[in-house]
Amino acid sequence: MMTVRWGMSIDLDKCTGCGACQVSCMQENNMPIFDEDSDIPKRVTFLDLMKVTNDFQGDKKYGEVQTAFVPKMCMQCSGNDPQHPQPPCVSVCPVVATDVGDDGVVSQIWSRCIGCRYCQAACPYEARVFNWWKPRYQGDFARGLNPDVSVASRGAVVKCTFCSHIWKRERDKAISRGETDINKVTYTPACASACPTGAIVFGDLNNPNSPVFETRLKNDPRAVRMVHSIDQQPENERARRMRIKNYPNPKVYYLSSQKWLRDILSAFQNS
Amino acid sequence: MKTIIEFIKNEWNSFSKNTKIALAVLVSLFALFVIFAIQILFWGLGYTDMNNTFAMGLWIIGDLGFVALGGGAFFTGFMLYILRVDKLEPLINSTVLIGFMCYLFTFVLLVFDIGQPLRAWFGYAYPNWGAHLMPQSMLTEVVWCLTFYFLVLCVELIPIPLKHKILDKIPVLHYTGHYLHRLMWIMAAVGTFLSFFHQGSLGGGMWDVLYGKPGWWRAHHQLFFLAIVAATAGGTCMMIMVPKIAERIMKKEVAPKESFWTLAKISGVMFIFYFVFRIYDVYTMTTQFVPLADRTFASTLGGYYGWTTLIPELLLALVPIAILNVKKLREQENLLFIAVICGASAIVFSKIGVVLNGFSVPLFPWRGFATYMPTIQEWLILFGSIATMILIYMGFAAYLPLFPHLEKHEHHE
Repeated sequence: MMTVRWGMSIDLDKCTGCGACQVSCMQENNMPIFDEDSDIPKRVTFLDLMKVTNDFQGDKKYGEVQTAFVPKMCMQCSGNDPQHPQPPCVSVCPVVATDVGDDGVVSQIWSRCIGCRYCQAACPYEARVFNWWKPRYQGDFARGLNPDVSVASRGAVVKCTFCSHIWKRERDKAISRGETDINKVTYTPACASACPTGAIVFGDLNNPNSPVFETRLKNDPRAVRMVHSIDQQPENERARRMRIKNYPNPKVYYLSSQKWLRDILSAFQNS
Repeated sequence: MKTIIEFIKNEWNSFSKNTKIALAVLVSLFALFVIFAIQILFWGLGYTDMNNTFAMGLWIIGDLGFVALGGGAFFTGFMLYILRVDKLEPLINSTVLIGFMCYLFTFVLLVFDIGQPLRAWFGYAYPNWGAHLMPQSMLTEVVWCLTFYFLVLCVELIPIPLKHKILDKIPVLHYTGHYLHRLMWIMAAVGTFLSFFHQGSLGGGMWDVLYGKPGWWRAHHQLFFLAIVAATAGGTCMMIMVPKIAERIMKKEVAPKESFWTLAKISGVMFIFYFVFRIYDVYTMTTQFVPLADRTFASTLGGYYGWTTLIPELLLALVPIAILNVKKLREQENLLFIAVICGASAIVFSKIGVVLNGFSVPLFPWRGFATYMPTIQEWLILFGSIATMILIYMGFAAYLPLFPHLEKHEHHE
C-alpha cells in the first residue's frame, strides 16, 4: 500500500519563464510538434506555460503592468477527501480509461480512450488535451522517442501523469537492488528536473521531511492553489461548503511573494 | 433492376416542381454529408472548430436537441398506451418515426463526435459501473439507455411498414404486425422508463455533475430533472410541428384536429412546469450554486452565449404557455403552429445555452469568454443528418401508412 501522495510546489518568484519545463515535458512524454503549434487551442502539450498579467482587463497604466509565467500541468485533483479521491475527470469516463492511483496520481490509458472528451469538459484546469490530428514527428525526432511512454493515436485524450513512468522505472531499479519498500522509491518528473532555477519542487505531500509537506505549504502565506477560492474561506465556512459540494483539491501549490499574482491565481475577483 | 429505375423515373415525373426542388436540395445535402463524413472519419476532428477549451460543439448540441425533441415519442407513447389517451392514436405512427430517426441520428452524430469511432463498442465492453451496478459515468448510462430505447423504437416502428397494403396481405407479416401492436403497451412502458433516465442524463445530468465547472454544476441533479421536463414539453411540440408541416405541404388533413389539440394541451401544461422549474433553476444558480465557487451567476452569463441564449429560451417558452393552455387560441390553426415552433425552439435554445455557455465560461480569472465557430464540416454533417431525416419522413409519408387517418379519409372518398 502506498502511503506517498505525490505533489508539487512551484516558486513563481524563481520562475524565469524560460520554458525548459515545457520542452522537457514534451520530449519525455513523446508529444507531437506541429507546424501550426501557434494554434494554441489545439496544441498537444501536458504542461502549459501560461503568461499571466494583472492588465487582463486593459485598465492598468504604464508602469503598473506586471507579468508572470505560470507553468500549469495536471493538478492531480483529489476531491474533498484525499483518502477516497474523486477527481472531477475520473468518474465521468464512460469506458474506465482514466483512474486515480493510491499515490493520488490520475492516470489515463491512451488505448482505452474513445475520445469522447467528457473528461476535458469536466477538468477545471484545461489540463487534459486531445489529439486533434494524427501525431507526427519531424526528422529524426521519431528515433528519439521515449520507449517508456506509449504514443497516443489520433482521437484520444492524453494528460500529465507526473511522469509516473519514471516512478515505475525507479521502482523496478529498487526491486532489482533488493529494496522492496515501495514507499521509499523517489523520483523527479521531467519538468522539475529540467527547471534551471529549481522553481519546480516535487515530493511527498504526506512526509514532514519532504520539501512539499502539505501541512507546511497550507500554512505558508506565499502559497496558493490555482483557482481554488475555498482556501481563502474561514474554517467553518469551508466545512459548510464541502458538505454541499466537492472541490477539486489540487496537489500543485504555487508560491509567490507578489500579492497581485496570488490574488489572480487563487480566485476570481470582483465577479 | 430495370423495373426499379422505371419506377423511380415514373415517380420523379409525377412530382410537382416544388417537390423536385426540395428533393434536389435534400439529396445534395445528403451527398455533402457523405463527403464530409468520410473526411472526418478518416482524417480526424482537426477539421472542426472544437479545441481543448471548447471540447464539444455543434454535434453535441444536435445530440441533445434530437434526443430532447425525439423524447416526445416516449411521452406520447406513455400518454397513449399507459394513460390511455386514445385521441392520440392517429399521431402515434408519425411520433414513433420521428423518435426513431432522432435517436438514429443521435448515434450517427455521436460516432462523428468521438475521436475513436472504431472504439465505440468500448462503451458496452468496458462500461463505467459504480457500486450496486449503478452507472458511475453519465455517459455510460446514456449509451446503454439510448441503445435499449433505440431497440424499443425499432420494435415500435416495425408494425408501420408491415401495415402496407402489399405486406399486409402476407399472413405471417400481418399477424406479426398485429401481435407486436398488441404488445405495444409493454414497449411503451419500457420506453418510458429508459427514456426518462437518458433524457435526464444526456440533457442535464451529464453537465450538472461536473463539480469543477461553475457554469454547469448544480446539486441534487437539478438539471437532470429539468431536462426530463424539457423533453416532455419540447418533444410534444415537435410531435405536433412535424405532422403540421406535412399537412401544410400535402394540403390534406393528416390527423383529426382533436388529436393535435389534445397533444397541444398536454404540451402547454408541460411548458408551465418547465418554465417554473427553469426559473427555480436560475434562482438557485444565482443564490446557491455559483456563489459556492465565489463567482456570481451573472458573471457566468457573459460572452456570446450567456444572456443571448437564456433570454430567448425563456421568451420562447412563454409562447406555448400563452397559446396552448387557452382552448380558443390553440384551436386556431396558425397560432397552434407558431406555438409549437416556439416551444421546440425554446428547448433547442436551452440545449445551445447548456453546451456553448458551459464551455465558454472562463476557467481562469485572466481569461475572457471562449468563442466557437463551427466549420463547414460540422454544419454540413448536422444539416445533412436533418436532411436525411426529412427524406426518410417524406418516404414514409408517401409510401407507407404513416397517417392512418389519411388512408381512412381517402377510402371514404
